[in-house]
Amino acid sequence: MDKSAIIEKLKTIVKPFVKNEEAFNSINENTDFIADLKINSANLVDIVLDVEEAFSIEIDNQSMEKMLTIKAALTIIETKLAEK
Amino acid sequence: MIGNDVIDLALARKESNWKRYGFLNKIFTPQEQALIANAQNPESTVWSLWSRKEAAYKIYNRQTQIRGYIPIQLECFDLEYEEGIRFGNVVCYDAIYFTKTYITSEYIETIAVAQKNDFMNIKYLNSKVAISKINGIPNYYDTENMILKPLSKSHHGRFEKCIGFI
Repeated sequence: MDKSAIIEKLKTIVKPFVKNEEAFNSINENTDFIADLKINSANLVDIVLDVEEAFSIEIDNQSMEKMLTIKAALTIIETKLAEK
Repeated sequence: MIGNDVIDLALARKESNWKRYGFLNKIFTPQEQALIANAQNPESTVWSLWSRKEAAYKIYNRQTQIRGYIPIQLECFDLEYEEGIRFGNVVCYDAIYFTKTYITSEYIETIAVAQKNDFMNIKYLNSKVAISKINGIPNYYDTENMILKPLSKSHHGRFEKCIGFI
């Protein structure tokens, strides 16, 4: 799966939790889930669970700690997919 | 050092399904999950624990300037409970924070401090107070003493709470 396909899939997952539509419309690798998209921190766990399901991967606690931006999520997904 | 967090229970019910498979496992330690499983009101316990983690994280973030999604690293311990107020500790790596959580049927609010006696040095501020952020960490300007003091603000649904050092 290439990078843009992963980002598209990630955007679909993130969308329902976004509170700042404007930031979502200009989403890029540096977009921060909490600071930019204003996602409730309790919903970050839903994103982690949805990502696990959508990509059939397991996100361990150490990886979850870093999952604050699109870029970080992308790196984690790519790494876990490569390990499969 | 202070941090706070408020949760509107009606909104939390709409936004989160804490019964979802895997949810509790990702954010609560086995001991915390046991507290939830044995609670008379598991929903209230879930959000009580979550608000303590959030409030304590704000202190951790202020002290270390490090950001991270680390709910498992912020382990809550129950201390005494009296008339709707739960006192507790949150252990985060090698630090211990002290928490005071107000539990009502409408909202849950936690105030966390780094030193226990700081509970006495906190006041509620008008949420419209001018906030000055340094590295994303909020302070307010104490006009009487002309210095910046730590502030913590939390808003969720119908509730907004703003606290600062006296």
